[in-house]
Amino acid sequence: MPDVNRILVIGGGFSGLTTAVDAAETGAEVIVIEKNPYLGGRVAQLNKYFPKLCPPICGLEINFRRIKTNPNITFYTMAEVESIAGGPGDYNVTVKVNPRHVNDNCVACDACAQACPAERPNEYNFGMDKTKAAFLPFNQAFPQKYVIDSAHCKGDCGKVCKEACKYNAIDLDMKPETINLNVSSVVVATGWNPYDANKLDILGFGSIKNVITNMMMERLASPTGPTAGKIVRPSDGKPVQNIAFVQCAGSRDENHLPFCSYVCCLASLKQTTYIREQNPESKATIFYIDIRTPGRWNEKFYSKVKEDPNVSFIKGKVASIAQDEGSDDVVVTAEDMMTGNKVKMKFDMVVLATGMEPSGAAKKISGVNYNENGFALPNLGIHSAGCSKNPMDVARSAQDATGAAMKAISTAKLAGQGR
Amino acid sequence: MDKNIGLYICTGCSIGESIDVEKVSNIAKNALRIPVVKSHFALCGNEGIELIKNDIKNEGVNTVVLAACSQRVKYEEFDFPGCIVERAPLRELAVWTQDGKENAQLAAEDYVKMHVIKAQKGDLPEPYLMETVKTILVIGGGIAGMTAALQSANAGYEVVLVEKEPQLGGFVNKLHKKVPTAVGEYSEPLIVDTDIDKTIKEVESHPKIKVYKSSKVEKTDGQPGAYDVTISSNGNSEVVKIGTIVLAAGWRPYDATKLEHLGYGVSKDVVTNIELEEIAKKNNGKILRPSDGKEAKKVAFIQCAGQRDPNHLPYCSAMCCVTSLKQAKYVTQNSDATAMIFYKDIRTPGRLEYYYKAAQNDPCVMMTKGEVTGVADAGNGNLYVEMENSLLGQKVKIEADLVVLATGVVPATVDDPILNLQYRQGPGLPDLELYDGFADSNFICFQYETRRTGVYAAGCVRQPMNMSEAQEDATGAALKAIQAAEHVAKGIAVHPRAWDMTYPDAYMQRCTSCKRCTEECPFGAIDEDEKGTPFYKPGRCRRCATCMGACPERIVSFKDYHVDMIGSMMKNVSVPSEDDKPRIIVLACENDAYPAIDTAALKKMNIDAAVRIIQLRCLGSTNLVWVADALSRGIDGMLLLGCKFGENYQCHFAKGSELADYRLGKVQETLGRLQLESERVQMIQLAIDEYDNISKIIHDFVERVKEIGPNPFKGF
Amino acid sequence: MPEQIMTQPITQIISPDLKFVKDIIASGGESLKKCYQCSTCTVVCNVTPDDKPFPRKEMMYAQWGMKDKLISNPDIWLCHQCSDCTAYCPRGAKPGEVLGAIRKMAIANYSVPGALAKMVGNSKYLLMLFAVPIVIFFAIIASLGNLSLSSIPRGEDGGIVYSKFIPVPAIDTVFIAAATFAAISFVLGIKKYWADMSAGISVQGNLMGSIKATITEILAHKRFEKCNVTKDRKTAHLLVFYAFAGLAITTTWAIVYLYGFHYDSPYPLYDPLKLLGNASALALLYGITLVTGNRLKNAEKAGKGSYFDWLFIAVIYAIVVTGILSELLRLANIAILAYPTYFAHLVFVFFLFAYAPFSKMAHMVYRATAMVFARHTKRD
Repeated sequence: MPDVNRILVIGGGFSGLTTAVDAAETGAEVIVIEKNPYLGGRVAQLNKYFPKLCPPICGLEINFRRIKTNPNITFYTMAEVESIAGGPGDYNVTVKVNPRHVNDNCVACDACAQACPAERPNEYNFGMDKTKAAFLPFNQAFPQKYVIDSAHCKGDCGKVCKEACKYNAIDLDMKPETINLNVSSVVVATGWNPYDANKLDILGFGSIKNVITNMMMERLASPTGPTAGKIVRPSDGKPVQNIAFVQCAGSRDENHLPFCSYVCCLASLKQTTYIREQNPESKATIFYIDIRTPGRWNEKFYSKVKEDPNVSFIKGKVASIAQDEGSDDVVVTAEDMMTGNKVKMKFDMVVLATGMEPSGAAKKISGVNYNENGFALPNLGIHSAGCSKNPMDVARSAQDATGAAMKAISTAKLAGQGR
Repeated sequence: MDKNIGLYICTGCSIGESIDVEKVSNIAKNALRIPVVKSHFALCGNEGIELIKNDIKNEGVNTVVLAACSQRVKYEEFDFPGCIVERAPLRELAVWTQDGKENAQLAAEDYVKMHVIKAQKGDLPEPYLMETVKTILVIGGGIAGMTAALQSANAGYEVVLVEKEPQLGGFVNKLHKKVPTAVGEYSEPLIVDTDIDKTIKEVESHPKIKVYKSSKVEKTDGQPGAYDVTISSNGNSEVVKIGTIVLAAGWRPYDATKLEHLGYGVSKDVVTNIELEEIAKKNNGKILRPSDGKEAKKVAFIQCAGQRDPNHLPYCSAMCCVTSLKQAKYVTQNSDATAMIFYKDIRTPGRLEYYYKAAQNDPCVMMTKGEVTGVADAGNGNLYVEMENSLLGQKVKIEADLVVLATGVVPATVDDPILNLQYRQGPGLPDLELYDGFADSNFICFQYETRRTGVYAAGCVRQPMNMSEAQEDATGAALKAIQAAEHVAKGIAVHPRAWDMTYPDAYMQRCTSCKRCTEECPFGAIDEDEKGTPFYKPGRCRRCATCMGACPERIVSFKDYHVDMIGSMMKNVSVPSEDDKPRIIVLACENDAYPAIDTAALKKMNIDAAVRIIQLRCLGSTNLVWVADALSRGIDGMLLLGCKFGENYQCHFAKGSELADYRLGKVQETLGRLQLESERVQMIQLAIDEYDNISKIIHDFVERVKEIGPNPFKGF
Repeated sequence: MPEQIMTQPITQIISPDLKFVKDIIASGGESLKKCYQCSTCTVVCNVTPDDKPFPRKEMMYAQWGMKDKLISNPDIWLCHQCSDCTAYCPRGAKPGEVLGAIRKMAIANYSVPGALAKMVGNSKYLLMLFAVPIVIFFAIIASLGNLSLSSIPRGEDGGIVYSKFIPVPAIDTVFIAAATFAAISFVLGIKKYWADMSAGISVQGNLMGSIKATITEILAHKRFEKCNVTKDRKTAHLLVFYAFAGLAITTTWAIVYLYGFHYDSPYPLYDPLKLLGNASALALLYGITLVTGNRLKNAEKAGKGSYFDWLFIAVIYAIVVTGILSELLRLANIAILAYPTYFAHLVFVFFLFAYAPFSKMAHMVYRATAMVFARHTKRD
């Protein structure tokens, strides 16, 4: 049994960070386990937040500062929880820490990346570009430490990178490590993955070049994205004039994700503003079943987007997408239910509003309970927060994660521990 | 504290190649008279750290100035407890962003001087300690309030719960049944008992919760950690010492009498969703219509009744779709009855979609999208619901024997301050009209932040939400209240400077009672006595230093941040004598604009050699005296980089950047007195992700200043 | 009825019929209420017209119990139950199955007498329906004293001669009566159906042309090619369709032999009539096996089908199996099995004929009529 109220937070995305800083600022000791080489999770890939259209890194920066200034928080990146055993007040956790091949001496001078001869697909940008095999995940990545992707840094690559570093920061011999932790409670905040659009056979992703996902759109619109923020279509780099958003691409569909992913309506509304801002002539069409912008702020955002005459809404799910014959355009078919006619419309690019699949669908942590869709369920001293528990937006994740901090703190108290 | 400064210049990260470190060292030793000046190739490495630690131990160094990289990196390495640590970001501001050795050298010299003076002017923080209590006051005994109370009490805190009604339970008391709040999936039964009595009993019997029923908060005086809350119950008043507050005052349904077009008030058989709960509850689940007591067989539910409508409530109440699906189940307990739901969009986000699917799968439940245009008499004792653009036809009407209006949520705070704060700035949370009266946060990332420190809203008073969401929300609010109580007890600030132990200390002898600070403080931390003299309630303060910027007498200071400190940094900025070499000071918000500059530096983007950058806690702390002093010294221009303001403001202190802009509007006068062009001083809103624009923004400003010409005070 | 585009919409009064909803659910459309109106079905459907497409709107009408909008709606018959809609439906609402249930109800609605349709659609009445031919044929056999199987006269070569068990004229009398009943029922039903479809619509143009085009289309089974999930249905349906045609020709031929040439059965196996009949029987067996196989294979995506569907399939199976067995048993000269099998065969054939206007068999007539109407009104 730990001698202090120690909380393990699995996941260093927005929910995990919020739980961590809120619990730590309330006096608990917190350990954060993040699988990526950086903290921030999915929101670090977003260009803007709805409905405020503000940059996600703004809130992350504050939270990073809260971490930097709080001795109660420890975090591990490139780490994954393998198993949890025990009960409330006394859990034993096994964590695997994967090698970064870069140690704390790294000053982020970029010398290794400049020297590095190998490249790797950049998953941060959903494979739309490449980075060197020695890389900083993105400009404002925290911690500001490079990574060597050993899967892609083969042959001489490691040696070249190591020689380029003046600070002895590269350690090619790093091996995966297993650490054991003893904690009072656990918060699962492992977040979500975009649903695999390749599984949506009738929507053409993967076979039609100018069909992308909403998360890819975030990267396209972002200044740190593959096109430095210019929204151009993949096939020919043409600036996008006429775009379609296909809602519920996989969500609310028992053949795929039977639940509503909460954010996709708002994300598409937000993305219309990206395109409208870049190109005053542009047009956007949203095909939907129900527009879901619950609450005060979100609904008002919808009202505002609706005022734009170049953004139109068609009630009717898109169930067929095809490549236009003779051009790179994309043909979308839906029934416009308000007129009761089938419509076939041509667009420069189509964005599939793919939903969120809880991380528990792909990978389950031994000791955590999940429902049939992979959502993490609370169980005694193991709590869940954010999208690993229920699809929600960033605001609700923040709120939910603070609540999870409360539950985690109380776990130790209820288990009869002191502080 | 007697300072013994050690200046450590790092020569790594190209600093050594770009600047003449020896020259800088000599300036430090000779001009700045710093006793310990050392350089090292990698200060952040073990050897470098040991070097500094050794000096602290053996040379008595207690103030460490690091001429190396930004304070945003290597924070763990450069942590020397008990010492003042000042970081001069040579790497970012003098090397990575400067072209040519000459520019780099001049910048490095300036930044070293500026940060040495800053270290000299600063002091180690000391917390503001006062006698505090950690009792949590929960206002509102509905499901949110009770949850907050139980969570706080179970975590070991004393709780005072104030409910205006004679019994606890709030709206849940009125409900016939509720949606199962299962953690798994939604399956039969789709309506379950609320079990509110169990929760009420748990609250009322909890040894750490004191419940006041039929009571109101008459007055909230004092500050977090030391509130004196006057609770009035049945004509009696009692003052209770309170630490922090959870505001869970709840909501009321939208006034349905304004929905005459939907038949409310015209026909008895048009009721609100809350009234339907009462009907069901009263009749043991039977839906008897008000006009003749007959069992309703054709019940029409009109969604968004007075919602998502600019003439009524412009927002969505988030709970009504599920409520109507639930209430449809009340109706269809009678298998001959139909429940017809008319909606704009069915909103069952997340896992609630399972509920929609399950509740809809009933022969008696019928649903269509459509715009309900009115409710009319059908002539046979029933009603017609008239609808356009529906999935049943362009223009249709459907007979119903009972019409239920899904009316929305109006927060209690829309017309009642509830808290009755005895603050100079008013009794309630400010500017709630921005949020349609809800006690909401403006921050996506920080949902519980209100503009009154120590007050955290939960449940429907904060945002429209359903019952289980309200419970989760209240759990979070309880944590925030506990956290604030703990922080204020230790004399530490709360979000967004939750590490900060400094506090505003005003030299009151020089106060002229101009009240600018009391008016401008975004958090209402400063009150006035009977004579109008301001005095601080530090527990309410978030340490943004807006008061410091507001004060024309420059009397507000923090141990590590004050007007003289920043002013002195500016005075140590070199002013080139050449007319074609302007010198411009950039004041950058340390939360957003400065991190953006750091990122631009990481990308090795050029920043015009004319500028010297100073970080501020918040642009709200900008004191106009800096402008006057700098320009009268020959500085050619000043550029303020702060957060976006306006309706969707991004300032972490709500008002800081806006106030800086407002003050600059008034700087004209000062500049006029100096016969200087007002364009020499400008504020630009810059978000943290706009680092790619920084070079251009700064360059353009420098060019504009060049066009205006050199500052005539140059050389004076 | 196809909705008319009106410039000045007239307020329609919607009167939901809860009983109708429950009937659809009881008739195999139990997934009906899961539909949340996304219109995936309409988009994936390749046989629907683009203008006012189905089946999304039909699902809406069905959920609201809008009987009038469905029963006389030709669109429910333009649906060929490819089940693409069912496969892609995100809610498991199975529009293909629901439309199947509605078609069953449409058959019940138009067939005369309606009560019989209800019986055909309900497993409760199955025995009662079979009792009719059983009693009739039993009465004939009894009246001929053929109840004792051993006493039935044999043919010249000592072989079994079914016409000595039950004389052909007796069978023909029964079947002509049954067929006449079915035909009248069909005529009355279709007449009413046509009238309902064309109510409020000015129908003009070349009706014969539409009929001809429809027949051509049916013969080629073109429409089945548009199905995706159940692509393989075309072969199966085509086989069953042409096997029936073959059997119809065989029957006519036999009548000609008997009454025209006084040429009595049994006919030798090399007789062209026999060749056609046997080939058709085998084609039917193969076809209906394919149908069953497809249905089972696609059950997860396309839905498992209703009692109404399976009854029809079962009867066809029974006819073809008893038919083939009758012939084989006759040739093998196993009287104890041959006569009962033949008896069963007659019972099943009667069932198919007499109840055709009330069973799934009726789809042939209603679908053809709807297709003619759709073509005629330029809907399709």
